[in-house]
Amino acid sequence: MKTVEDYVELLRDELALPVTAEDLGRPLDAVAAWDSVHLLTLCTLLERETGRPLSLADVLEAPSLEAVYRLAVAP
Amino acid sequence: MTGRDVYIRSAASALPGPPVDNAALARRLGMDALWEQWVDVFIGTASRHLALDLESGEVTGTLAELAAEAGRSALAAAGTGPQEVDAVVLATATPDRLMPATVNIAADLLGIDGVRTFQLQSGCSGAVQALDLAHQLLVSGSAETVLVLGGDVIARFFDVERDLRTAAPAELVNYVLFGDAAGAAVLSTRPAPGAALLRQVFTRLVGLGREPGAVLEWFGPADRDTERPAATEDYKAIEKHVPEMTEEVLTELLDAAGWAPEDVDVLLPPQLSGRMTGLITERLALPRAEPVTCVDRVGNCGNAIVFLQLERALAGALGPGRRAVGVSIESSKWIKAGFALEGR
Repeated sequence: MKTVEDYVELLRDELALPVTAEDLGRPLDAVAAWDSVHLLTLCTLLERETGRPLSLADVLEAPSLEAVYRLAVAP
Repeated sequence: MTGRDVYIRSAASALPGPPVDNAALARRLGMDALWEQWVDVFIGTASRHLALDLESGEVTGTLAELAAEAGRSALAAAGTGPQEVDAVVLATATPDRLMPATVNIAADLLGIDGVRTFQLQSGCSGAVQALDLAHQLLVSGSAETVLVLGGDVIARFFDVERDLRTAAPAELVNYVLFGDAAGAAVLSTRPAPGAALLRQVFTRLVGLGREPGAVLEWFGPADRDTERPAATEDYKAIEKHVPEMTEEVLTELLDAAGWAPEDVDVLLPPQLSGRMTGLITERLALPRAEPVTCVDRVGNCGNAIVFLQLERALAGALGPGRRAVGVSIESSKWIKAGFALEGR
């Protein structure tokens, strides 16, 4: 996963979330079908894609899917 | 109705093996610290018991053995011998086999014979269905002592080789929510010190036209290679409906018993997960009720868990004159269930 487009593809294909790039900045509770189990699945997938661990505490602070993406790809 | 009173004389439980905590589960299923933290935060269940060797994935025990162990303890606690039991009722979603019925194997292990036996195929409210049936047998005058059993062994649904990173959410939650156990209670028309009067008990199907909230499949030679998962949960439907159904059951129980919310000393809330049960208990807002809950330590043990709560309530919170209400909601095809007790 190198780009935001890859990220949207992952959300759509692996999590079956009906999102587009425009949805990434929305508050998480405004994302259709989003819930805590998706949060876990997404984090697990991101860890697999990036090969780096994520902190749940950090992810819980993230207000949007875009913020989760930034955590995953932060240098 | 004969006007007979029915008492819960004792309750007991049996749990297989040592508790399996989230760290042990994460290690075996190849999950990491984030997964473990997520279970702590969003499920709130710290451990469970499994009739399973986690390393090999082999199932290590049967429901019949667990039910017999719990039944033996409950009979001993009630001072009742197996020959005094007039009927046995067992509730389970996971019988050891389709035939013979697990209730009859458990009865054999307990030395019970020559009496009526019933097995209810049931989900989470099966314990209350079994109590309801036992209550009816006792009220009708056709029995004086009924041994009620309930339990589940979900170990066979555990695939320790499963890569949970690729599991669908509806399947994944099953690996952390549930535990194995059996429970038992001795119901009698004869009172005894430390018993509880069963003031109210009811169960009601409310599943008309509704999709199941939880599904367990069974497979035979013709369909054993099916792609459909053996266990799934519509956890969103459960999160939405169980709290409101719990409130409705509580209101109905209080109305039937003629109790006000402040009259309730002890609450046995539905045991979904540590977190959900905590939220439901808060929402009910019974001003004085002491909650009796164990799901955070043993997981959701299906048909056993009401007996685990009863065992704890009889041993502590439910003293003479104290009033308890218990609520159980079944999300498989949606059943409301509840009971009201008075300590003696």
